[in-house]
Amino acid sequence: MAFKIEPRAEPSRSMAIAAPLIAIGLTVIISSLLFLSLGLNPFVTLYTFFVQPLTTLNGVSEWLLKASPLILIACGLAIGFRANVWNIGAEGQLIIGAIAAAGVGLFSPWQESVLLLPMMVIAGMVGGALWAAIPAFLKDRMNTNEILVTLMLTYVAALLLSYLVHGPWRDPDGFNFPQTALLPQAGMLEVFDYSYRLNTSIFFTVVVVILAWVFMERSFLGYKMSVGGIAPAAAKYAGFKASASIWIGLLISGATAGLAGMSEVAGPLGQLSSQISPGYGFAAIIVAFIGRLNAFGIVLGGLLLSLIYLGGEAVQLKLGLPSSIALIFQGLLLFFLLASNFLINFRIRKLTTRAL
Amino acid sequence: MTPRLELRGICKLYPGVIANDDISLSVLPGEIHAVLGENGAGKSTLMKIIYGACPADKGEIFCDGEAVSEHGPAVSRQLGIEMVYQHFALFESITVVENIALSMPGRLELKKLAEKILKVSRRYGLPIDPDRLVMSLSVGERQRVEIVRCLLRNPKLLILDEPTSVLTPQAVKTLFETLRQLADEGCSILYISHKLDEVRDLCHSATILRGGRVSGEADPRKSTSAELARMMVGSDLPEMSVTPAKRTEEPMLALIDLNLVSENIMGTSLKSISLDAFGGEIVGIAGVSGNGQSELAAVVSGERIADRADEITLNGRAIGALDAGARRDLGLGFVPEERLGRGAVPSYDLSENALLTAHRKGMVKHGIAKRAKAKEFAQNVIAKFKVKANGPEAQALSLSGGNLQKFIMGREIELNPKVLLVSQPTWGVDVGAAAYIRQTLIDLSRSGGSVVIISEELEELFEICDRIYVIADGKLSHSLDRKQTSVEEVGLLMTGGNDAKETNIQGIKYGV
Amino acid sequence: MTNTTRREILKYGAAAGLATSIAGLPNFASAAGKLKVGAVYVSPVSEIGWTKQHSLGIEAIKAEFGDKVELTVIENIYLPQDAERIFRELASSGNDLVFGTSFSHGTPMQKVAPRFPNVAFEHCSGIKHLKNLGTFEAKYYEGTYVAGVTAGHVSKSAKIGFVGGFPIPDIVGPANALLRGAQSVNPDITCNVIFLNSWFDPGKEKEATKTLIAQGCDVICSMTDTATGVQVAGENDAWSIGYGGDMSQFGNGKHLTAFTLNWVPIYVKAAKDVAAGTWATSERWQGLSDGIVQMSPYNTNLSAEAVAEAEKARTDIIAGTLHPYAGVLKDQAGTVRVEAGSVLPNGDIRGFNWFVQGMIGNLG
Repeated sequence: MAFKIEPRAEPSRSMAIAAPLIAIGLTVIISSLLFLSLGLNPFVTLYTFFVQPLTTLNGVSEWLLKASPLILIACGLAIGFRANVWNIGAEGQLIIGAIAAAGVGLFSPWQESVLLLPMMVIAGMVGGALWAAIPAFLKDRMNTNEILVTLMLTYVAALLLSYLVHGPWRDPDGFNFPQTALLPQAGMLEVFDYSYRLNTSIFFTVVVVILAWVFMERSFLGYKMSVGGIAPAAAKYAGFKASASIWIGLLISGATAGLAGMSEVAGPLGQLSSQISPGYGFAAIIVAFIGRLNAFGIVLGGLLLSLIYLGGEAVQLKLGLPSSIALIFQGLLLFFLLASNFLINFRIRKLTTRAL
Repeated sequence: MTPRLELRGICKLYPGVIANDDISLSVLPGEIHAVLGENGAGKSTLMKIIYGACPADKGEIFCDGEAVSEHGPAVSRQLGIEMVYQHFALFESITVVENIALSMPGRLELKKLAEKILKVSRRYGLPIDPDRLVMSLSVGERQRVEIVRCLLRNPKLLILDEPTSVLTPQAVKTLFETLRQLADEGCSILYISHKLDEVRDLCHSATILRGGRVSGEADPRKSTSAELARMMVGSDLPEMSVTPAKRTEEPMLALIDLNLVSENIMGTSLKSISLDAFGGEIVGIAGVSGNGQSELAAVVSGERIADRADEITLNGRAIGALDAGARRDLGLGFVPEERLGRGAVPSYDLSENALLTAHRKGMVKHGIAKRAKAKEFAQNVIAKFKVKANGPEAQALSLSGGNLQKFIMGREIELNPKVLLVSQPTWGVDVGAAAYIRQTLIDLSRSGGSVVIISEELEELFEICDRIYVIADGKLSHSLDRKQTSVEEVGLLMTGGNDAKETNIQGIKYGV
Repeated sequence: MTNTTRREILKYGAAAGLATSIAGLPNFASAAGKLKVGAVYVSPVSEIGWTKQHSLGIEAIKAEFGDKVELTVIENIYLPQDAERIFRELASSGNDLVFGTSFSHGTPMQKVAPRFPNVAFEHCSGIKHLKNLGTFEAKYYEGTYVAGVTAGHVSKSAKIGFVGGFPIPDIVGPANALLRGAQSVNPDITCNVIFLNSWFDPGKEKEATKTLIAQGCDVICSMTDTATGVQVAGENDAWSIGYGGDMSQFGNGKHLTAFTLNWVPIYVKAAKDVAAGTWATSERWQGLSDGIVQMSPYNTNLSAEAVAEAEKARTDIIAGTLHPYAGVLKDQAGTVRVEAGSVLPNGDIRGFNWFVQGMIGNLG
């Protein structure tokens, strides 16, 4: 029996809904087999993975806390991705945003001022945007590949952070350990409740999601950028400038990544250390695609990815699974999700057998 | 006489479309049989079924009286059925003989094959050099390679799919002679076309398709174009009404010594092009494809910026340095040859595609695109230009080529352009829609606008243009008055014979 | 419908969370009479290395308490954001004793500990201790000094090499002591240093080791979480010194000795104290004399003299008659930092941020 993959004339609307369900179904089936082969009860394991982390308020707080930067960055990235501007280096922009925000927080003269936090927000966004402006400039003027430049600048950013925390910014009272002093209280984001870590940075995310949605779905600029992404010849035909897409796509995603970096350093971290991001900048790329480059889809994608991180920890803590099994499970789910999206634009047809 | 090929009750269904519905036809040995029909009438599907490239859902195929079962391209070759596709399948970077060797069975000596190629090409008047690289061949030469490739297999039935769309009038004549010679030798020919005059000139019989069904059979030698067209379209074609042009005093669009290096290494650079287009007239630019038309369209529309601003002027204003959007703001409209992906975004619906260029009609407020206005605009274009579409929410790619072209044309005309540049206005557009589009262009020019048409279809240019320029190898000829020139003169200019006036050709006036 | 259910789950979940944290209040010993212990590892448990040594401590608790203990272990937690969540989770789910095993767990533990005053936290390689957060650390430098003595005997080029994870005091100090030990044999010996800025990066470590060998170093000591340094040294016919556990199986016969870490006594004591209700915070900093740092068997190719001198150094350190950082101690520039007759104060050792004379390299 032979099968053929054909592009669909129009994206399937029913598949758009069915694809994630198919993905989850396949993940459940395959992972159940995996769990059974390890002698685990699949029901208990899946419950622990998907439900258990959300059964406490603390769990929900942690869920949102982890989803928030992913969603924030992915919204910025999606704006660029729609215009075929491939910023792969949000991780680096996040680091620079965190450095800029922490620099203001630690060394500016407004240590006690209520202005400190807003200044840090601005510093974080500007820092991330400036870091992204480098590949934008190089692409606009010299037609360099932004995928390479953004990715490589991530390593530069990481080394810069390492230099700062090992060198000039090292906490003088910190026994030479590679971290800065703690940020002053005025430079920390407010938590909602002392018992939980979720802080006001969640509002940044809410605002950015709404703005990103308006930008992508309603604004003319967003429309122009999308045309540039889907049909570059049509954008040229209409006279939309490609360089504008490059700059806007990179600056916006750089700013959101920088804001995420600021939120981390002024939120759960409270200081800079040599490693500050659990790969949010890279995971956000996955989130953007799980969300199909739609702001609200990204919210769902970010919540899902955050949940499977927590679920991965939960199965270790509650069931004693090794971390590698949790990683395999996470990989399975992401693979099926992204692969099933393929069915929205393509269909698999059984070929009628025919002798040649 | 037993028919060479006989089809009985062929049916083919695609999801949502009946491509072929109960089609029967028969071709005798030595007969040139036309399959006439508009785009989407089911011609290509039928040819694929005959060649075995796709299976029929129902019906039978007989070859020399014997039923063909288990059909496929390999079976076709055994039966002596060969096909020349509209889009050639040649490898650019190897020679002609190497390309042909790839499709021949068994082990081959290239030297012997080259001799054979030369023999066949001489015999049928298809001069080709077996040792040349395909990338150095013109489109016409490539077609010859394809035909020679088929002829080397001594076909009993040769299928040609729209073979003249890439040829100059002279090359068409040569091709027809070859085909006639082949037919005289007993080879049957299935000739697919939508060009009525060619069919009347060449073919012995014709099967006309409409909407997937046979709508008539005719002897094209004894039928008028109007009769054939009626069978194709289902109704009488509207008469073109061409009122005399009232030209403006000053040119609205002027190209002044325009030079442009092509961005594409396979492209053609423009060399010192000068052109005037006045209000109230239609100016045509004829030429075989690949002679600089796409470069010209890009630089005039603003998709590419000219090297010097004053190489292009619009109402006296130098616009060479402006992008397409700025030029459109000044009244320069453009309808490109590619509708999907250039003139329209395929996955966007019509109202979103209205926004593409018509956003300047008050569709953007405070940076937000006004969807309702775009929808209203699209709705208006759909109604005014008789676009067959499922409303403004229909995706651009769901429209037929002709209807999308009407939509794009309508969108650009609704922007009230002073100059409208149209590239290949009726390419792949069915006869009815083509007539409508041509009339629209005439009306636009007669209401004072200036229309510039780049087209490879001479028939079309002679039908509606007031003046014709010819582009060959990136150079533009002097202007020819349509009423005082001939297809032959234009054809000679197309091949680069620079001044047809000096060569004494007894031109046959082109008559409609 | 579904909404209600969802909300109820959240509500009940929250209630349950609250209940467990209240239930945890009165005493360290939990309801079932079982001791609950949690441990957070910085990397996956492998055959050898840092995390392996900590897992031995947890296994020892298991062996000691049998079914009277409930253990929860999570590995590969190295980022502060994740660590804080995990420590909260462990504390709020009723664990009586929670171990953190990495420097990077420090800030999170300092944040979490005050919220859960009835949970005992133990932090390895920590610097700040609180009322319910104890710290423990090994005197690695005692081990490197002894190993340095053997290195001083075998080095023909009078150059030894050191690969460190991060330039933190816990690594800088031992590197200094390694050279001091070697210089006790041959005062002209120098030591080249490379930091990886990672605990676990075999690729980088391999490059670093090769670089040191290319620079002429013929003894390699690598303080990371892998055996790569020992392995690459062996492949290139250079001597090596293992860290954490006995790495002789990787050394191609060139493994001189290893200074191994034995956390078992600390883990077992903490568990016993919590079970007995006698646990109190403390700062432990132990070395050879307490058996926290041990030397693995010496290479049989070492001369009897070398082994004897190394053993003498070891016993003298245990006896307190030898101190690796005894004066005269000069820094890289030759400035005297410790006068003859005195030793570097403990506070300075724990915050070591300079290299002694003969060290070649920079601190980050």
